Amino acid sequence: MNNLQRSVSSALTIAEMEARKIRHDSTELWMRAIQPALWLLIFGTVFSAIRASALQIPSGFTYTQYIAPGVLAQSVLFVAIFYGITIVWERDVGLLTKLLSTPSPRISVVVGKALAAGVRGIFQGIMIFALALIIGVNLRFDPLDVAGVFLVVVLFAMCFAALSMTLASVLKTRDRMMGIGQAITMPLFFASNAIYPVSLMPPFLQEISAYNPLSYVVDALRAMLLTGDYSGLPLDILVLLVTTIVLILCASFLLKKLIE
Amino acid sequence: MNVTTTEAIGTRSSENGMPLAVQVTGLTKSYSKGPKAVDSISFEVRAGEVFGLLGPNGAGKTTTIKMITTLTRPTAGSIQVFGVDALLLPQEVRQMLGFVPQAISVDGDLTGYENLLIFAKLFFVDPAERSKRIHEALELFGLADRADDLVKHYSGGMMRRLEIAQALVNRPKLLFLDEPSIGLDPHSRMQVIDHIRRLNRDFGTTILITTHDMAEADELCDRLAIMNLGKIAVIGAPRELKKSVGGDVITVAVRGPITDSIPPDLGTIAGRDQGTLKILTVDGERAIPRLTDYLEGEGAVVESVSLSRPTLDDVFMKFAKVSLQDEGSFREARSARRSIARHAR
Repeated sequence: MNNLQRSVSSALTIAEMEARKIRHDSTELWMRAIQPALWLLIFGTVFSAIRASALQIPSGFTYTQYIAPGVLAQSVLFVAIFYGITIVWERDVGLLTKLLSTPSPRISVVVGKALAAGVRGIFQGIMIFALALIIGVNLRFDPLDVAGVFLVVVLFAMCFAALSMTLASVLKTRDRMMGIGQAITMPLFFASNAIYPVSLMPPFLQEISAYNPLSYVVDALRAMLLTGDYSGLPLDILVLLVTTIVLILCASFLLKKLIE
Repeated sequence: MNVTTTEAIGTRSSENGMPLAVQVTGLTKSYSKGPKAVDSISFEVRAGEVFGLLGPNGAGKTTTIKMITTLTRPTAGSIQVFGVDALLLPQEVRQMLGFVPQAISVDGDLTGYENLLIFAKLFFVDPAERSKRIHEALELFGLADRADDLVKHYSGGMMRRLEIAQALVNRPKLLFLDEPSIGLDPHSRMQVIDHIRRLNRDFGTTILITTHDMAEADELCDRLAIMNLGKIAVIGAPRELKKSVGGDVITVAVRGPITDSIPPDLGTIAGRDQGTLKILTVDGERAIPRLTDYLEGEGAVVESVSLSRPTLDDVFMKFAKVSLQDEGSFREARSARRSIARHAR
């Protein structure tokens, strides 16, 4: 086996490790469906009372439809951003030391964990699709679009899991990671086009939104789930891909700081 | 015997062509604050031996192991593992190693079988061999009937055994065990030691073990190094080290005439009292029968004989100038127990 094959095989093994844990205890996955359900059922329903034109959402869509991609992105973000806590926990119980003492390249550990976040992201995707069907939110169920949605979800989960692991390598404790997780997720969410169009935002927030990866993700998801307007898709995916690669490299480089 | 320097005892290592498992030269690790954790140490571990690294808390044992396992980069010095430079080719070196860290490091959310499977994959164990080896290891370590239970329901001793069983699956050339028996009850501890010995004997695994349990080190190690304050105080075989602190003392209670001289090959008389004779000798067990024969030949009646031998503790006192019986071992045992509890949620 050459080095690349080894890296890929190790990354898949680490992802497999996570998948097996989920199989033994999937309670967490089901709990994570609660929050998106609340957003769609309560927030979506209440805000649907406001005229669509006042909210400046694309004509022909209800507000609940409009926020469905945003809610999916947000729930994946929540899953991914707490991967840093997982890795700090694994450091505390000695598992990380053991993983790093295997011949697997460091990058495999990061990519493997990120892939595992992707697997959880896929479950979030399935939950949202199921919820949408149950409460009658009309989404595009074209097979290619659905596949595209899952691809973006996996990439997005990997991106923020890598960000979270990078932060964990620097911050090093679970308490700090809890803090930073809270401090990052809500601002990212509100400074994005997840639950309202960018055009409604004050100018400074529009500026921030342009640098917010979440906006690109929501844009891509919305194109595939709702509008079918793919014009922004290449840029969305490019931004996401580059951010993910950079963050994975950062995390791989910094990870060993956690055990020093 | 002169044992005042690090190199004194038993470094005839590669003279007879025996390959070296580990060769460490001038190894140093310093952190930004505080004194050097490891201060320019050099030692060798021969292939096939059980080598012990002894010392109190903060002696630098764990840091040394972390550097050899490529988890931490040394500040200075070189490390060769079976001739491979650990600083240049860390992945190649890790492929040859097994590592059982001080804190229990099994994954409580996976079954025993899965733990072994995942780490066999991460060590690129031949897939054709994998399943057979895992089942054999579980069998040998008495875990076969619990193989499909989540590890968080295991006892501390079982978790430790599972970690060591990994070595049987991966077959590393060199296995590192950092305080493997700490926090375990005496029965589990004995089982763990027994398994370590079997790995060494039956599979020829070279073993590097850190401990501050002197009795355990004495029982297990072919050679050992005593570390203190980041330096190696002395290296040698336990027997030689114990000899170096003064040898055995035989105390004989006799009736009748007491001689004032004995043949020099039996030892020397260290004290003569009313009816008792203290004799300083090199190998007490062998000297006793000849000594009683000699004394009785001289017309005395030997009533009782007792032998006291130096322990590794005495060696440690001599070379490290501190005793190991400090609160440190208690603190580490407590943290190890806590680590077991954390896994057994």
